[in-house]
Amino acid sequence: MGRLFQLLLKNGGFVTLIFVELFCFIIIVKYNTSQAVIWANTSEIFGGRLMERRQKVTDYFGLQERADSLARVLDSLQARLANARVMQFPLRDTFFSISFDTIYGVDTIRRKSIRPEYDFVSGKVVENSITNANNWLLINRGRTDQVAPHMAVVSPQGVVGIIRHVSDHFSIAMSVLHSQTRITASLNKVGAFGSLVWQGGDPSVMTLKDISKHFQDRIKPGDLVSTSGYSVMFPKDHPVGTVISAPSPDPGNPHFLVVQVKLSQDMSNVSDISIVRNLYTPEIDSLKSRIKQ
Amino acid sequence: MNSIVIPNLWRFVGMVLLQGLLLKQMGQAVHTTHFNVLLYPLFILFLPIQTAAPYLVLLGFAVGISVDIFYQTPGVHASAGAFSGFTRAFVFAAFSPKGGFSTKEPIFSPANVSWQTYLYGASAFFFLHLFWYFSVDAFTFVFFGSIMLKTIIAWFISMIFVVLYAALFNPKI
Repeated sequence: MGRLFQLLLKNGGFVTLIFVELFCFIIIVKYNTSQAVIWANTSEIFGGRLMERRQKVTDYFGLQERADSLARVLDSLQARLANARVMQFPLRDTFFSISFDTIYGVDTIRRKSIRPEYDFVSGKVVENSITNANNWLLINRGRTDQVAPHMAVVSPQGVVGIIRHVSDHFSIAMSVLHSQTRITASLNKVGAFGSLVWQGGDPSVMTLKDISKHFQDRIKPGDLVSTSGYSVMFPKDHPVGTVISAPSPDPGNPHFLVVQVKLSQDMSNVSDISIVRNLYTPEIDSLKSRIKQ
Repeated sequence: MNSIVIPNLWRFVGMVLLQGLLLKQMGQAVHTTHFNVLLYPLFILFLPIQTAAPYLVLLGFAVGISVDIFYQTPGVHASAGAFSGFTRAFVFAAFSPKGGFSTKEPIFSPANVSWQTYLYGASAFFFLHLFWYFSVDAFTFVFFGSIMLKTIIAWFISMIFVVLYAALFNPKI
């Protein structure tokens, strides 16, 4: 402390100068018009740069949060899209003028035809395999997130799998690259549909089986394949992939055709997924149980 | 003590009034921004040589802010005055006789030091003061050329007054 005081005393002139000049600076920019303008511009430039940098840093640390919020937005959009696809015709003429949410709340007549059917839960793939004959995915969403077995797992690019086992915070999904996978998919252009299976081998190619034979000439490579909607799990018209080969007769069942489908979702690189929750699953299940009895 | 304070007090009042009432009007009578005469830094130059640096800075600020009242530029002359108060020691160190100043030379005037030393010292001192003043006045080095031009012209004119003042009053203390 004594040393500091001595230093101050020794350089008293300089220290005084600093304080006096600071004081002068303040009154100059406060009471002189031209200097005030120059100072305002200068500080704006430098302040702006500084703020920009600060923003970049905070943006970086906020990226995780932003990604999560975007995933939530994606969920809600996917839900709205999936629900819009199952809407019935009475709403058609007012589709663009009335928002779905407002009608759903108040209009009891239309409500039945336009009720939402799907809800989306976003999640991440924690473990994935593509090399086995039966592949599985571990997903960081579980019972507490209202995930249950037999829910579909999709990504924005395509279909990913079906939930089979659920714990409190995680779930295991059967990948589409699994020998037991059967997903009803349709060829949008020709209206044909069949079931999508994986026959092993190339993890980016699946086989669409059980296509009626009269579509033989109309199916061309490049045709889009999407989910058919004849399923409780997958919402209608979710992308699956594209046809890569001309249809050929099914060796096991010559009355039907098979086509090779290139998956639009690269299964070796799947991270952000949504779990599709059908809001009417219990109701549909109890209804189905009657025909089994 | 009074023998030191009184002359300096008179010089303070005299310089501020001379600068604020007469020299300012002279500068404004000539219709160009490059014609400026600043004489009040002489007050700082003529303060006793033994004055401690913090007092010099504060007195420089005081004379500057007084001139600012006449010029209606709060802080600009004050900043230059404080700066000159600080730099005076360096100017003296450069032009002091061998062995430094003694008590025989209470102030830096031609009566105490030679005319030559006085002119060299005053030249450097005024140049630094004027340069700082016009820099603060412009407030940006974008106009560096204009600042230098103003400084050099004002320096020439001011030096005439610096010589005249010393010749007329020939201050000893």
